[in-house]
Amino acid sequence: MADKVKSIAEVTRTIPDGAHVALGGFAIARNVIAAVHELIRQGKRNLTVSQGVAGLDTDLLVGAGAVSRLIIGGGSLDRFGLLYCVNRAREAKTLRAEDYTSLSLSFRYLAGALGLSFIPIKSLLSSEILERLEASSAADDVKHMRCPFTGEEYLLLRALVPDVSYVHVQIADREGNARIDGPRWENEEQAKAARRIVLIAEEIVSTEEIQREPERTIIPGHRVDAVVHEPFGAYPTAVFRRYDYDAEHLQLYVAHSKQGGIEDYLRTYVYGTKDHRDYLEQCGGTVCLQRLQAAPDLGY
Amino acid sequence: MDDIRATEIMAAAGARELHDNDTVIVGLGLPQVACFLAKSTHAPNLAALLEIGVINMRPKDTPVGLADSRIFYRATCWSGFLDIMGMNLHRGVVDVGFLGALELDRYGNINTTLLKDDGKVRYFNGSAGGNDVASLAKRVLVIMRHEKRKLRAAVAHITSPGFVDGKTREQLALRGGGPHRVITDKAVIGFGVETRSAKLISLHPGIGLDDVLANTGMPLEVPEDIPVTPLPSRDELRLLREEIDPQGVYLGKLS
Repeated sequence: MADKVKSIAEVTRTIPDGAHVALGGFAIARNVIAAVHELIRQGKRNLTVSQGVAGLDTDLLVGAGAVSRLIIGGGSLDRFGLLYCVNRAREAKTLRAEDYTSLSLSFRYLAGALGLSFIPIKSLLSSEILERLEASSAADDVKHMRCPFTGEEYLLLRALVPDVSYVHVQIADREGNARIDGPRWENEEQAKAARRIVLIAEEIVSTEEIQREPERTIIPGHRVDAVVHEPFGAYPTAVFRRYDYDAEHLQLYVAHSKQGGIEDYLRTYVYGTKDHRDYLEQCGGTVCLQRLQAAPDLGY
Repeated sequence: MDDIRATEIMAAAGARELHDNDTVIVGLGLPQVACFLAKSTHAPNLAALLEIGVINMRPKDTPVGLADSRIFYRATCWSGFLDIMGMNLHRGVVDVGFLGALELDRYGNINTTLLKDDGKVRYFNGSAGGNDVASLAKRVLVIMRHEKRKLRAAVAHITSPGFVDGKTREQLALRGGGPHRVITDKAVIGFGVETRSAKLISLHPGIGLDDVLANTGMPLEVPEDIPVTPLPSRDELRLLREEIDPQGVYLGKLS
């Protein structure tokens, strides 16, 4: 069986500038922080980022100046605030942003995952989200059509096929058979639409362990390009059944991001750290982070 | 009863709009409170869905948002967007969708994307599932604060369509029934059958019409006799205060 375990630095070196990277996080849950930090450390530029409901991962990448095009359904840091770096870049027009919705972006990934070139949908119609898409660089990705069977009006969406999808998962084996505990938003269709899948796993288990409950495998190993083992890899966002989000660190981030830039934050926590483990040390170390550990009966 | 909070009246008014066996897409905050209240009283078989892929959650701790694991607790199903927003909402089996709004206009169009101040654009959260719910749910309930700058003649951006330009949903090529009620901290607003424009349904106890009109930035049809929004019952208040939101996270502090 193929052993796909690699370091995130190794994987990141294979991502060219200008690549389309899809991120698997949702607001402040299961963000691919380890992957995003390394993209920033390696100075990637002109990335296209897509994500259903964007969170800290996307805000960090945009704040670091790594993104030129954004394709999202929405985004926030929940109660902690807005995606200030994203919004500021949009307001300054240094970022091309294309707004969709949770469902329409899921549909675009689903079409990609099914090998369809487009998919019909009944949302977005008669909205200014659609008007803005039609007036932008995305005009070529949305078309109107009547159903050839019923005559009903549909919007057609072009399939979305990212170059790479990063997904943070609780458990994977070395081949990349991955389990996702709790809700999965658009993880499955996004990953399966992508040309390459990179997993960031909290825990690596044996294939025998996976074989005991194969019904829990959401992403099968044969589709996976690389498995990165990174405990606390989503910190400071939450990973269900593993650890809670770190409210203090999120507040600290927002204190920077809201004020006009995250250069100082990046210097301390990303450029100033050599890898994810070093970053966790900078945040108090894994012993200190045990305070965030999830209670088994609650999952948080 | 004079210590009843406006939020409790809103939650009870929201709950009253939900029926037993309804399938409901819920948002965090007062919509969730209203939904739990309905489920604990007249709608025990209501199915509550969260867009990220959670069905019939019964959280015991207060979540900060949809991404907070606290809201996954004691659910009967975990799935994802495609299940909830696709195979339920797009499938046409969602009776009610709850939405919030940065701005709302007379036709129930909702803005959650951007505001324009002196030509300068400020961005907010965007749609997430809002536009999908507004397009596809059989009826849409909005819970929001009653402020002139939020209830506007025209919104800065139609994120989620209601009856755009007063058109029917059929004319707009939308399957869902559109906005049904807007529940604010002062009143309940509906939409005229013919005009599809905002119409006052009831005033909350102690709120005068002049107060509502002074705080409404859009045309509002006012009936001759204006009903009063019913107060929550004793049982509803007990549930809200002792079981559903004892810490007042969404209902606010008791004065």
